[in-house]
Amino acid sequence: MASLTKKKSDKPSLLYTAGESFLHRANPLTSLCLLLWMLSAAIVLPTEGTATLTLAAIAVALVTGVGKKALKRLLITMVPIGIALTVVHGLLIDRQDFAALGPVQISASGLDYGLRVFMRVACMLMATLLFVTTTHPADMLKALDQRGVPAGIGYLIASPLLLIEPFTERARGIRDAQRVRGLNLTGSWKARAAALPVLLVPLITLALSDLDHRASVLSGRAFRAKPHRTVINAPPDSTLQIWVRRLLLLLAVLQLGLPLLWRL
Amino acid sequence: MKFDNRTLVLMAAAIVINIVVGQIVAWVKLPLFLDSIGTVLVAILVGPIAAAIVGTLANLLWGLLFDPVAAAFFPVALVIGLTAGVLARYGWFANLWKTIVAGAIICVISTIVSIPIIVYMFGGVTGSGTDFATAYLLAIGQNLIQSVALSNLVQNMGDKIITAVVAFLIAQRLPRNLTSSMPFFAYSRS
Repeated sequence: MASLTKKKSDKPSLLYTAGESFLHRANPLTSLCLLLWMLSAAIVLPTEGTATLTLAAIAVALVTGVGKKALKRLLITMVPIGIALTVVHGLLIDRQDFAALGPVQISASGLDYGLRVFMRVACMLMATLLFVTTTHPADMLKALDQRGVPAGIGYLIASPLLLIEPFTERARGIRDAQRVRGLNLTGSWKARAAALPVLLVPLITLALSDLDHRASVLSGRAFRAKPHRTVINAPPDSTLQIWVRRLLLLLAVLQLGLPLLWRL
Repeated sequence: MKFDNRTLVLMAAAIVINIVVGQIVAWVKLPLFLDSIGTVLVAILVGPIAAAIVGTLANLLWGLLFDPVAAAFFPVALVIGLTAGVLARYGWFANLWKTIVAGAIICVISTIVSIPIIVYMFGGVTGSGTDFATAYLLAIGQNLIQSVALSNLVQNMGDKIITAVVAFLIAQRLPRNLTSSMPFFAYSRS
């Protein structure tokens, strides 16, 4: 059981969570446009705005059934950033308004700036998490294929997605084989540094050993005989979603562009 | 720019190498990333454009699959690919000593690109161990940009030199039948 748990914890966990919510059913390009709009909003909104948008994204994550995974990742990422921002901007950076708070000097404007950065990063992270937890990479690729992305670009995105799992398995196999031969992964830093090439070199050599074969397979399938590939089971799309995408992109550009024009 | 099928397959393998090697490094618990070995390998074998594409896609895929924060640093991965490719073009991966210097140059340039992202987007912190060094440097009187630059430069120097050396050693040991169709590699032959 312990080895099973260990093996599970070794696996890189895909953030995508299967579901039937409106975001899961949306065309991946619509979700991508929503992400772009939220990212641009996070850049221009004040702290209150980014906090509201973050809370809204958390609510949507909970409604769509991805809340647990998204919130866990949000906390894992944001807690250390929050602590570091408080220390760096509240205590360490020299500002005019330092005031004594017990044994330490603390800056209100520093904390205010730290909070602004914290909420901006949290908002961007939550927007990205909402996208990656509800959009499967393979569906994203199909949507891109449907829009006529060149075959070479499609291959460069799709192939690694398919290869990561087998290569991770290979890496695990190499690690276990080397451990049997006495490799020490928990000793001093010198022992661990010495273990690195023993793990890296076989894996990279393996990754490169079948390049010729895979290139021949691509050529044999007339991979680039036509400029665009046909998608059999493309993600569903609708006129409404097309207009939503246009609106979100327009808003994203206006949000970023208008403040700049205002300053000019 | 259109790449032949063999180059495309190499680029895809390099993206996977970047991602999986990052995981192996986590197993040995060393303060390293080594997540650009595939990028530098492609820079040596194919050139700067292919390497920049590999770096960018590896970072974006890593962000899409496992860690969204990583995606914010895709310009750094892009610049690592471009810099390594340009250095390879001028023979800086032709022997071990030049490769070590090339690793140091890649480190300096990638640090310069990462500073605005860390300072202006993340307020100077990233939630990693580097923040302790940044905090220490701030405490002894450096300003935020200097502190971020210095802490990241020190942390990245070993990482980028090891990355360059590993990529160099692998490229030099690849069989001729594999590299014969990669004319760019001639600039790095010792």
